[in-house]
Amino acid sequence: MATLKVSNLHVSVNDEEDKKSKEILKGVNLEMHTGETHAIMGPNGTGKSTLSETIMGNPNYHITKGSIELDGQDLSTMTVDQRARAGLFLAMQYPVEIKGITNLEFIRTAVNVTRNEQGPLPIKKFLDKLKENLGILNMSDKMTERYLNEGFSGGEKKRNEILQMMMIKPKFAILDEIDSGLDIDALQVVAKGVNHMLSPNFGVLMITHYQRLLNYIHPDQVHVMMDGRIVKTGDASLAE
Amino acid sequence: MNGIKHAVLDPKFVSAAKFDQEPDWLSEMRNQAFEKSQDLPLPVFAKVNYSSWPLLEFSTKKQADLEIPKSVKDQLADYTFVNLGNRNIKNELANFLSQGVILCSMADAIKNYGDLVQKYLYQFAIDPNEDRLTAINLALMNNGTFLYVPDNVQLKDPIKLLTIQDSRQEEMFIDHTLIVAGKNSRFNVFQRTETIGDIANPAHLTAEIIADQDSHVQYNSLDCLGPKTYAYFNRKGHLKEDARIDWAMGIFNNGSTIADFDSDLYGVGSHTEMQTVAISTGRQTQGLDTQVTNYGRHTEGNILQIGVLLDSSTLIFNGIGKIIHGAHGSKAQQENRILMLSPKAHGDANPILLIDENDVIAGHAASVGQINKKQLYYLMSRGLSKEVAQRLVVRGFLGVVLSNVPIPAVREQMVAMIERKLQNDPESK
Repeated sequence: MATLKVSNLHVSVNDEEDKKSKEILKGVNLEMHTGETHAIMGPNGTGKSTLSETIMGNPNYHITKGSIELDGQDLSTMTVDQRARAGLFLAMQYPVEIKGITNLEFIRTAVNVTRNEQGPLPIKKFLDKLKENLGILNMSDKMTERYLNEGFSGGEKKRNEILQMMMIKPKFAILDEIDSGLDIDALQVVAKGVNHMLSPNFGVLMITHYQRLLNYIHPDQVHVMMDGRIVKTGDASLAE
Repeated sequence: MNGIKHAVLDPKFVSAAKFDQEPDWLSEMRNQAFEKSQDLPLPVFAKVNYSSWPLLEFSTKKQADLEIPKSVKDQLADYTFVNLGNRNIKNELANFLSQGVILCSMADAIKNYGDLVQKYLYQFAIDPNEDRLTAINLALMNNGTFLYVPDNVQLKDPIKLLTIQDSRQEEMFIDHTLIVAGKNSRFNVFQRTETIGDIANPAHLTAEIIADQDSHVQYNSLDCLGPKTYAYFNRKGHLKEDARIDWAMGIFNNGSTIADFDSDLYGVGSHTEMQTVAISTGRQTQGLDTQVTNYGRHTEGNILQIGVLLDSSTLIFNGIGKIIHGAHGSKAQQENRILMLSPKAHGDANPILLIDENDVIAGHAASVGQINKKQLYYLMSRGLSKEVAQRLVVRGFLGVVLSNVPIPAVREQMVAMIERKLQNDPESK
């Protein structure tokens, strides 16, 4: 069992306009284990995305106090890619488009670098796994031949985030508003992918405004975030 | 070393350049061009100062025939036709002979197909009177390749040319490729250039493509000249009615380069796509001009130049779209993009539109920028190290042109070349 522990986390960002440092997270505490499903809810601007970006290591967010630990190891000195290889995954709210790199080439590279000492996955096994996951997500094979996220619709981008998660198989995945902009059918497909991943070796943290997502992926714990702090934690009934 | 600006050429170079049993008409053309060259100005490459480059530091030393090195022998199987310096060392013309195709060295072409060569050489595409370097290239041409594809011949397999500058000794290297595409012909040519040896010789490489009515030529090149080679390139297409030339060129030289790539759309409905990718590294300067001139009605020319800069290098793209009065319904679009991977590099992308006709569609886009940090973050968040992520972003950036290279083996060569250039980058480590 792996543990992700956030303790008294304070985070600032530099405002794009006045360049002044602004404190967004004001002492967040959160502990989760693999095998668990967590959800963080709360209105816009309370720091939910800041928390997920900070855990992942986005260089725009600065920890001023507190810590994030993965199995007791302090993440703050680790770069984004090191955190990813240690088992963290962030399904981004706005996945970037990269022309000229195919989705397939990218996913294969990502799968191989996160396998560390196990060595690269043989191509046949990789393609079989890819096909299986594409099937679960109702995605066509053609999606992997296209350039990374380029020209993808909002829903296709979200599915592609889940596809990457399913291929990389992280210990912990943070899903940052994976439900935003999805119609009910797409939401069900995305949820199917996430539920397929659930196992004692996988933990998921969902960030959302809406209760709707939680009808399809049932959380063990729900946290309510307000003004840079988690103000309440409870079971799934808290979301209702 | 003498810069080109003050170089005075000795006429002995003209006699040294002559082919065996050269006919009078060619010698006469050379002499005239040489004469004229003294008065013609050097070509202008906007924002590139090459006046100190030793581009005309030729040698007339008599060449000893050195043996073919293993590095060259190993590559022979991949090419249809190979010139090592001024020697032809491989020719698989036999594969295309039944269709009337001619493929031979310029020396042999002059000897065996003199009339045909005379009809096209420096007649339609490159004008020897244009500037000092075009004149000198005609006057001193001492290597080359001639490819003639007759009317209605469509070749499925690409013709692959390897042109090697032999710098194991002092050598004058002024190479001219002449490609003639007959009416309604269709074929694919790949030309790779490289240098062996490490003597500092300048290189001049020119190519003319004359595309007759309804022909379709795909010309791909991969230029990988050596670090001590100062190079001048001039590749020009002349297009007749409804002809089309698609250029996809990788400029991966290791030394300083000026290059002029042009298409003249004379025929009604002719069309060209001119795409270039370039990488500059070290202290190298590369200045690339790509120009399309629309003379005919309903002609279309699109330019795409993409480049990456590392270290303290310089890369300048000038894109020139020129529409002549009377070329109604013509299109001229261009895009020039530069990615800087080093704060010490110097890059510039200059679109120039010269339009003398109202009924046209023309446009341009240009950018010079750093690597996209959001893209880098996204890739790294999937476990890719910064180095790998950066290489992938750069490959993606260049990939827009690479994906248009029709021969998979050539595409792979280009990707390998890009990877090698990026891996040598001290900044990304």
